[in-house]
Amino acid sequence: MKKVSLIGLVLLLMLSLVLVGCSSTPATTQSKEPADLKAIKDRGVLKVGVKIDVPKFGYKDPKTNQIDGFEIDLARAIAKKILGDEKKIDLQAVTAKTRGPLLDSGEIDLVAATFTITEERKQTYNFSDPYFVDYVGLLVKKDAKIAGLKDLNGKKIGVAQSATSKKAIQEAADKLGIKVEFLEFATYPEIKAALDSGRVQCFSVDKSILFGYLDDSTVILPDNFTSQNYGLASKKGNDALAKLINDTVNEMKSNGELDKLITKWGLK
Amino acid sequence: MVGPFAGFKWLALFANWKVFAEGFLTTLLASSLSLCLALVLGIIFGVLGSTHFKFPKAINRVYVEFIQNTPLVIQVFFLFNGLPHMGIMLPVLAVGVLGVGIYHGAYIAEVIRAGIQSIHRGQMEAALSQGFNYVGAMRYIILPQAARVVLPPLANQAVNLIKNTSVMALIAGGDLMYRADSWSSETLHYGPTYVVVGLLYLSLCFPLANLVRYLEKRAEVSA
Repeated sequence: MKKVSLIGLVLLLMLSLVLVGCSSTPATTQSKEPADLKAIKDRGVLKVGVKIDVPKFGYKDPKTNQIDGFEIDLARAIAKKILGDEKKIDLQAVTAKTRGPLLDSGEIDLVAATFTITEERKQTYNFSDPYFVDYVGLLVKKDAKIAGLKDLNGKKIGVAQSATSKKAIQEAADKLGIKVEFLEFATYPEIKAALDSGRVQCFSVDKSILFGYLDDSTVILPDNFTSQNYGLASKKGNDALAKLINDTVNEMKSNGELDKLITKWGLK
Repeated sequence: MVGPFAGFKWLALFANWKVFAEGFLTTLLASSLSLCLALVLGIIFGVLGSTHFKFPKAINRVYVEFIQNTPLVIQVFFLFNGLPHMGIMLPVLAVGVLGVGIYHGAYIAEVIRAGIQSIHRGQMEAALSQGFNYVGAMRYIILPQAARVVLPPLANQAVNLIKNTSVMALIAGGDLMYRADSWSSETLHYGPTYVVVGLLYLSLCFPLANLVRYLEKRAEVSA
């Protein structure tokens, strides 16, 4: 008997919390739809920032000039949710450097561009729950005879600006008690060029990205470092959009569509 | 609503001021070294270009045209990633100094050549007839006069040179622009970052730009 009343009390408490939560949201959401979603509907197209240099995620095929990939399919699903038509998307190429400013200026509504979720970044943008988990990996020259991170003592590692791989590798290196130096570049092809010329001995970004740069002379080491959770980012303030994006991601997770996409693009 | 210039971003920036101080020093070092290099190259090639002999003139043309008509970014990229394939691995600071120095050397060579050619032919003839050899006439008669003419455009080149050292950001050069790109893309606090870095470049270039104006005024008065 006591247990039942306790559960009842907890339920009551939760209900009141939900109610409080509801009452604090602006009243406008009840009467008509929120301004951020309305703006997209009025425009009739969802503007999405995607990568065009990451095979399987967002890649512009030079033969067909089409941008395609896992993240583009995700963006299409969001567009279908908002506009009822998955073709109503306007893709814009972004880099690590441009995706933030483009979101802030309203040039794009959301970013689906291998954007790793971190606590610090959550302060600045709305992130959805992760739709993909990746790990930081190491790409090295075959003839360099490097078998793991410990062989990179005193060596230089090329990483991408804004990538979280620098922190991940630094932590792992500290644990091993070795010293590594990081060179940051704006784009992945630049890191590959630096690896080829010997400026860096290792190319380290998320593994899914590394696969795009694997060739006959290079090899990806088996090591996995800190997991990278990719999230869909939108501007703070566009909270109805953020909620819709998050709901869509979670819905796709539960109904298996997300897994289907991951299989479709050969990411597992 | 979190704007690009939100308060906490400024606080984070000032807490990490050392990152930018290091970059500022690297930029200062690279600027001064490449300015020295550019001046030396500029004077040598400028004098070569103003002679009446065909061969030195041709050397001047090849250098100036080749450097002026290819992007600095490509030249620096070649020094950074191209030379190692030929077995030459220059330190990144040397790449920056050489790249920017050689680039502005070409522009300074043109400035110097124009300056020398602006001095009346009679000056050289008079110097030669007084027993100066060509080098002596240049050193004691022509260049001091040309210097007054070329100072304003020269200082202008120095301003451009400082700004162009930001090309080192492309090759992980550790300069101010590289630090700004790196820090702002890691934290996403790009708003305050580029404002502060812009102001730091301004603090380097503005005094020089003022010098240009002062020199121009002085040249006008004495001319």
